[in-house]
Amino acid sequence: MKERIMKKIDTSKRNFLTGSVTLAGVAAATSVLPISIVNANHKDSSPKGLPDFISWKDRNALIVHSDKGIETHRSAIGESLITPNRNIYIRNNMPTMSDTQIGDRNNWKVSIKGVKNPKTFSLAQLKKLGHTTMATILQCSGNGRGFFAHKVRGSQWKTGAAACVLWTGVPMKLVVDACGGVDKDAVFMTSAGVDHEPTGLDPKKAKVERSVPKKVYKDAMLAWEMNGVPLPNAHGGPLRMVTPGYFGINNVKHLGQVAFTTTESTVKYMKSSYRISPIGKKGSQYPSCWEMPVKSWITRPTDETGTVKSGNVQIVGVAMGGMKKVRSVKVSIDGGQSWKKAKFVGPDLGKYAWRQFVLEANLTPGNYNLASKASGGGKTQPELRMENRRGYAHNGWKDHSVNIKVV
Amino acid sequence: MRIFKIFIVILLFSFPLTINLQADSEKMALGLDVYNNKAACGACHILKAAASEGNIGPNLDILKPTEEQVKLIVTEGLGVMPAFGEEGILTSEEIDAVSHYVFTSTNK
Repeated sequence: MKERIMKKIDTSKRNFLTGSVTLAGVAAATSVLPISIVNANHKDSSPKGLPDFISWKDRNALIVHSDKGIETHRSAIGESLITPNRNIYIRNNMPTMSDTQIGDRNNWKVSIKGVKNPKTFSLAQLKKLGHTTMATILQCSGNGRGFFAHKVRGSQWKTGAAACVLWTGVPMKLVVDACGGVDKDAVFMTSAGVDHEPTGLDPKKAKVERSVPKKVYKDAMLAWEMNGVPLPNAHGGPLRMVTPGYFGINNVKHLGQVAFTTTESTVKYMKSSYRISPIGKKGSQYPSCWEMPVKSWITRPTDETGTVKSGNVQIVGVAMGGMKKVRSVKVSIDGGQSWKKAKFVGPDLGKYAWRQFVLEANLTPGNYNLASKASGGGKTQPELRMENRRGYAHNGWKDHSVNIKVV
Repeated sequence: MRIFKIFIVILLFSFPLTINLQADSEKMALGLDVYNNKAACGACHILKAAASEGNIGPNLDILKPTEEQVKLIVTEGLGVMPAFGEEGILTSEEIDAVSHYVFTSTNK
């Protein structure tokens, strides 16, 4: 793999980058661009436009925090359950690999270790091994970070670092079976990308390698297609790990290895990043961003789309259960003082997908605060966020509510 | 005599301004030096003012961070970016300077 990867970084800087004091770049940095869908910087060309590697996306659907942190507008998440690829957010820890770096997609290799018979499969071989399609939610661990009050580093996502996606690929279980089964001592499934390789950076600091509990493999898949098209490079093509119910970071892009291990990976992205710690504290003793909690938010009407005409209004949104099926969702038009049960609409694509909900309300002119509160797996969204240092895993309903003006 | 007085007053008021401009220019120069050398920010970031074309982290011309945001992230790091402050790679004076430089260069 490494041999056929073009080295993109200026060679004069490579020694420095791979030295003992590795000075690398920001994966995503703080930024607050007060953009709404009606006044977003849609029409601007570079540098406000979309970066080249995602020039195919819909600029009107997206908020550009940086060229590596791009959010979906609240009202552009998709009203047909699945989020269209051109609207899906971008959050990359490493630069997206190019076609040249990837080479022949069918010849992409992934090695499977920590199994009875370790093997390396090409993508073409994986396609012969099995086939399935599954809907899951891709959500950045920091989705909702923009609502936190303390100074928190990282892209200031509100609701749009999330998408519901149809993946096509091979069930991980079939891959494991083809390798004779998981090592009996294994505790974790550890997936590693190879997108750090072209950068020449120190793998301990730059490799995206994530460990999740071993049991995840039973529902996981290796995906090569996303919403009906070959997995775009920007989303980890040609092959990506999909860990249903787990935060986005665990769905490793540009997948090069899956290992069943007795210990968690020791790279920075596992050991110290993505840890949910109290404000002012950090360390690997705190929980990693793994299972997503129950959550919902309203996608129409929103403050992005201007005033709302009085009369019957369809209040629409999405609700997810995390690891369990979402059971119900309630909607409030008065900031949480009273709630009404909303109706789920559209197909049920399984517990790892979100459901769309709708509540019809007759609204007279005035200002309203619309909120939604989902329940599933015996848990209900809390009112307030769980305060934490890096602004992860926010599912409080109050911050996710939206103010509208009815005229 | 009156003109002389006005001249003195202008001189008195412009002196601190000159000092400030000089101090700012020194801070910008140190910021650029830190950006280019000690922190080598350009290896990972695009910044037109410094003619840097790194493509690991965000393009700073698009990001347009506040000075406070740069200071926080340079001090504490993020992802693959080192914690230049917490790891003792840069002094607080250098962090101030590079933060001022990046902010000023991207928010003209």
